[in-house]
Amino acid sequence: MTRVVVVPSPPGLLPELAGLEDPLAEARAAALDACRWLAAEQAPVVVLGADDLALRVGRHLLSTTHTGPVDAVRLPDVPSLDHLDALLVVADGSARRGEKAPGHLDERAAAYDEGIGRALASGDAAALAALDADLGAELLAAGVPALSVMGSLFEGRSVAAETTYADDPFGVAYWVTRWTVTREVA
Amino acid sequence: MTLRLGRHRFDDDATLVMAIVNRTPDSFYDRGATWAEDRAFDRVAQVVDEGAEIVDIGGVKAAPGVEVDSVEERRRVVSFVERVRAAYPHLVISVDTWRADVGAAVCEAGADVLNDAWGGADPGLVDVAAKHDVAIVCTHTGGVTPRTRPHRIAYDDVMADVLRATLGYADRALVAGVARESVVIDPAHDFGKNTFHSLEVTRRLGEMVATGFPVLVSLSNKDFVGETLGVPLEDRLTGTLAATAVSAMAGARIYRVHEVVPTRQTLDMVASIAGRRPPARAIRGIA
Repeated sequence: MTRVVVVPSPPGLLPELAGLEDPLAEARAAALDACRWLAAEQAPVVVLGADDLALRVGRHLLSTTHTGPVDAVRLPDVPSLDHLDALLVVADGSARRGEKAPGHLDERAAAYDEGIGRALASGDAAALAALDADLGAELLAAGVPALSVMGSLFEGRSVAAETTYADDPFGVAYWVTRWTVTREVA
Repeated sequence: MTLRLGRHRFDDDATLVMAIVNRTPDSFYDRGATWAEDRAFDRVAQVVDEGAEIVDIGGVKAAPGVEVDSVEERRRVVSFVERVRAAYPHLVISVDTWRADVGAAVCEAGADVLNDAWGGADPGLVDVAAKHDVAIVCTHTGGVTPRTRPHRIAYDDVMADVLRATLGYADRALVAGVARESVVIDPAHDFGKNTFHSLEVTRRLGEMVATGFPVLVSLSNKDFVGETLGVPLEDRLTGTLAATAVSAMAGARIYRVHEVVPTRQTLDMVASIAGRRPPARAIRGIA
């Protein structure tokens, strides 16, 4: 079995950008809960992200929840499935979800993110693997490349999925999702 | 450095707002608004609610005027200090007085700070502060008599005189037995100073901070602000806050003020610019 967790990557989760009040408290709490669940495997955790920011956010979340080894894998590198017991994917959806969103409104963002959210919540690895990367880039969905790799890694496996947080409090789509993936191809 | 005001201790980088509460019929800014004891008590409730850490209770206006002897001064402030102490155990109570006998009476009533705006005119005040283990504010007045205005006072170097006088006063306090962490120095804007002097001590305030003693500034709506901007009493808040920001960048610790909320916002803004305080809530650009 492999445990996989998806968390978002807003820089506001980093301690050096913290204010006195935490605008990301709800997303942070859900992400930390999921990281604790990941750490309960007592195995090395692999952090997968598309960029340096995603890896920093992932490492920071793990720093308070996990005392074991952490390996970071930055795209285009891809983690090996050998001995992969715990994977943290740091990825979020479109930043163009509204008039006040960082990337302003793109009418296509809602449907695109809805597809990601459905795939995460239902454990549909094939749907993640098939995400439209060009459209994701246009929609400022920074996490799509990592989500696609995650989908490719586990395509064909049995997945038990649970999404514990899904929201866009500041115009960017965030999810916190836990997958339990079987080792063998189903 | 660490600051202790009577029974209250504060972190090294804390800035404190000291709200003025006058038990006088004739002070320059409020013109007797809190002369009645209940009005003064309401003022305390208001400034506590607004976040002031300290109240500075005064029974004698600074400028020349009707004689207020020590009997009358005690009548105005001692029972009031008792009442505030009972109602607000966590509030720092400062009393603006230069008289040792008044100081002793208010310390018995629960005061934490003796704010001597007149530069040690009564040499017994430091002994009172030591005996009651309260803080003392050592101000510079240029040697003038209490309740007089400066007239043609000149300095070769006003900040040198401020340092000589306030550090001399601080030494007398230490020798008398006042705790090092309870000795505060204050350049006393407008006291024994013309507007040019007050501007210069503001500009050079870092020299006082560098002594290691916590620095108090009393800028609020003063004449040097009015003369600098050419504005009457009721239009001095903007200039006061500008001087507050400059003093905060220099490292002053205590701000004696009429307006608590604008002062606290100014101090918070400066502390965040200086990197000493996180923003209240930040998400712009980092969602």
